[in-house]
Amino acid sequence: MSYRKHLPETSGYSSVAIAVNAVIAIAVTLVVLWWASGFGPFYETIFRIDPAVSGANAGVGADWTSGNQIVWLDFAIAITHAADVIMGVFILFMVFLHWGAFRRLAARMRPPGATRESDETVAADGGSVAGDADDRHGRTGRDGPGDDTAPGGGGER
Amino acid sequence: MTQLDHGKFTRMTTTFHTLLALDVFVLFFSGYSMMFNDELWWLVGLMGGSTGVAAVHRIAGAGLLALIVFWMLMMVTTGTGRGNFREVLPTRGDIEAMVQDVKFLLGSADERHPNARQFAGGTADEIPLLTYIGKGVVFIFSVELALLSLSGVLIWTKTGVMGMLASKTAAMAFVTFHGLLGVIMLMGVMFHIFEHGFHPAFYPVEVKAFIPRSMIPEYHDEEGDGDGGTGIERLELAPSWNTASTVVGALTVIGIVSVLLASVFDEGYPVPRELVIGGGPTNTLLAVGINAGIFVLFLGLVLQMYGNLLRVRWERQLESEAEEPPTTATDGGRSETER
Repeated sequence: MSYRKHLPETSGYSSVAIAVNAVIAIAVTLVVLWWASGFGPFYETIFRIDPAVSGANAGVGADWTSGNQIVWLDFAIAITHAADVIMGVFILFMVFLHWGAFRRLAARMRPPGATRESDETVAADGGSVAGDADDRHGRTGRDGPGDDTAPGGGGER
Repeated sequence: MTQLDHGKFTRMTTTFHTLLALDVFVLFFSGYSMMFNDELWWLVGLMGGSTGVAAVHRIAGAGLLALIVFWMLMMVTTGTGRGNFREVLPTRGDIEAMVQDVKFLLGSADERHPNARQFAGGTADEIPLLTYIGKGVVFIFSVELALLSLSGVLIWTKTGVMGMLASKTAAMAFVTFHGLLGVIMLMGVMFHIFEHGFHPAFYPVEVKAFIPRSMIPEYHDEEGDGDGGTGIERLELAPSWNTASTVVGALTVIGIVSVLLASVFDEGYPVPRELVIGGGPTNTLLAVGINAGIFVLFLGLVLQMYGNLLRVRWERQLESEAEEPPTTATDGGRSETER
């Protein structure tokens, strides 16, 4: 059958490559973390941040006196803040853009409950209800996608 | 091999996507319950308090390093990986697709650009492997993951980063930098979840990423749809789509806005740039908003596991098909549903 030919492609990466690369990746990770720990054992490293501990001088930075005095680090934080805001606004724009596009696409689809088998019935049903419902669903049900650019229906799509 | 006509993900990619998602979500849950701990106190408690959260974050961080190194090796050492890399490069069509999406939204375009289509209609020649959003996700997430891994390794030990930055305060400020970097990705992942979970034709999960395009149950392109249409008119809208997309869309927006505001409020957490008496914001609205965002992340976790479930089911079906004699395959009733 036709779907058999899909099978080799779904496992497009050889298992040898996967296995070898996985082993290398784990080894590299261990070396990197060992290096990050100063090539020492892992004592002390796991309990570094205590942000939620209550009591005097228990939280991180509780003993700070003069704040961050490193200019480049302060700049890096400021520029990352700016990037967060710019990207945040852009991502919000994309959410609204796609939210709207999805709503338009949904308006083209058959309404819930209209099954493929009862094609004719749906078209007839669509025709009998309100005009806008007919524009959206009924006509496309009968005429198919060729009707997309038909005047009057275009606004809905 | 580059044009994975049947869908976007190979089996390895699907597994990798799952592991990466699980790992990144654990990093988000642990990392942001540290950064936004006054809003996500319950998450801190759930992960074993402040020490537990830090440990969870580190273990997941080690996992992320391994996954990233593995993926880079796969992209470089295999033909499929090198071939797919070309598919990621942005083209002029991607810009046009974004512009056309705006036009589509405003009603001055009737179709979405091929580079914007998640919907399976159309042939592999005209629909690229990745949408412009998909390419953006690949690029932005790659840069983010690289920067986060790098800064994460640098702050792996207290002694290491303090040696580098001279004071504990400065070291903690570097931790802030690390957390702020992740905010872009946090917001991006929320959008990613909405984008792939709430397309009306794919709701509740974009199966194209998990199973072949021709086997998506609603796919009926063979009946003469070559006149430019996508065939979306033939699909039935899920009854719950309208409500679900509205609710999750709203939660996504609230979540993005909230983490953005919180990251600004929490300025230099844990080291404020200026002295703040009383700590971070104890704003109820913000706390609700951030928790809404965390809920969207959790929803994404569930949806992507559901996608994996679909793939497992599909592969089992294929395996049983392969074992059966061809006479069964021509059985009309079944082949209809299998396509």
